[in-house]
Amino acid sequence: MVQSPEAAIDREQLAQLLTLSGRGDEKAFAQLYERSSAKLYGVCLRMLRDRGEAEDTLQEIFTTVWRRASSFDASKASAMTWLITLSRNKSIDRLRKRHEAHGDDDMIDGLADDAPSPAAHAQTSQEHQQLEHCLDELENKHRDAVREAFFTGATYNELADRCAVPLGTMKSWIRRSLIKLRTCLER
Amino acid sequence: MTTTTDPHGHEKLRGAEYVLGVLDAEQRREVERQLLDDPELAAAVEAWQERLAPLAEEIAATQPAAYVWPRILAELGLGGSVMARSAPEPSASGGLWNNLRLWHWIGIGASAVAAACVVMLVTLPRPMPTPTPVPTATTPTPPTTFMVAKIEQDNGVAGWTATMDVTHHRMILVPATPQAIASDRSTQLWLIPPGQKPVSVGVFIPDKANSMDLPIALVKQLSDKALLAVSVEPKGGSPTGQPTGPVIAKGSITGA
Repeated sequence: MVQSPEAAIDREQLAQLLTLSGRGDEKAFAQLYERSSAKLYGVCLRMLRDRGEAEDTLQEIFTTVWRRASSFDASKASAMTWLITLSRNKSIDRLRKRHEAHGDDDMIDGLADDAPSPAAHAQTSQEHQQLEHCLDELENKHRDAVREAFFTGATYNELADRCAVPLGTMKSWIRRSLIKLRTCLER
Repeated sequence: MTTTTDPHGHEKLRGAEYVLGVLDAEQRREVERQLLDDPELAAAVEAWQERLAPLAEEIAATQPAAYVWPRILAELGLGGSVMARSAPEPSASGGLWNNLRLWHWIGIGASAVAAACVVMLVTLPRPMPTPTPVPTATTPTPPTTFMVAKIEQDNGVAGWTATMDVTHHRMILVPATPQAIASDRSTQLWLIPPGQKPVSVGVFIPDKANSMDLPIALVKQLSDKALLAVSVEPKGGSPTGQPTGPVIAKGSITGA
């Protein structure tokens, strides 16, 4: 995958900080926070749409990073993917708990506009551009459902409600989209 | 990129659904259990994480509030003299929590485990009204309140974050960008109330988290109009009671 030298250095450094944090290096841990917390907080905020909950989740993410970074394997994954995955999983778990507590979905109906700004698009990685290209090959409403799922952590049921389609329809939209995406990304 | 296909060319979609995040809580736990002994599913989950994570590039980075980092350090018992790592995870033998491969990829919620050690900073911060200038002898005890200052260098880079626990008269000062200063010098923290001379808060170690007492006289001066500043002083602190060396960072105080 082609990437700018700066991006490559960035990735390398982040992986190193994460690895060192796993060995109990507090300085590296502080730098890792400095370098990645804004991005990860953005992810939590986007999914949870609540400052206090996003802050609590960010705290949970970094305590987990400190305790579990030793299981990060730089040869298998990029540090950012590892951190983003952790952040999304923590946020999704919190969303599910919120759902259990309130019983009802408190999100606004309809799909949010998740289209990236042109500027944001220009700065994204090759991987992102390739994924975007493959998403563009999907039918509009299928693509919207996939993006909504990724950015809001909505369940099949919630997605079906938001798009006002039967649950079975939503499942088939998402599953067909996932299969198409995989095929496209491996071309 | 790792890709696993079964004989029918139909990758386990459950892994994809799990990563995308469309499963409910019960289904998520089920996938997490299966991951422990289903390498094919684990490989699918890994591959899908790599495939979908780039979408997160579209999410704007947002600076979290300054008090989050001290809260993390407090929960982990890190910083300053407390260098010990926090207590190890409970070792339910062979249980979910000990499976490295699972943690490697999933990093699932330690929420059950993270029954947080209650540290003073963990309490949710609340904004504090500007204190009244003339405190009377009968001032009622205020509720637990925190104030925060991001102490920035002239180039705008955060030097330290100060979190003040107004109720318990304590301050935690954490380096945001670890600083090294000459070994024959000390860093000293000052509180500058509006229109007044600096008052020393104390000498501190620049590259470690510091826990400092806040005398009641200082607590009463905390307001969103006051500043915190760091100067470089002779070893042991300013001999005059006022800053004598260069001010290398400063910042205003905000109710959290």
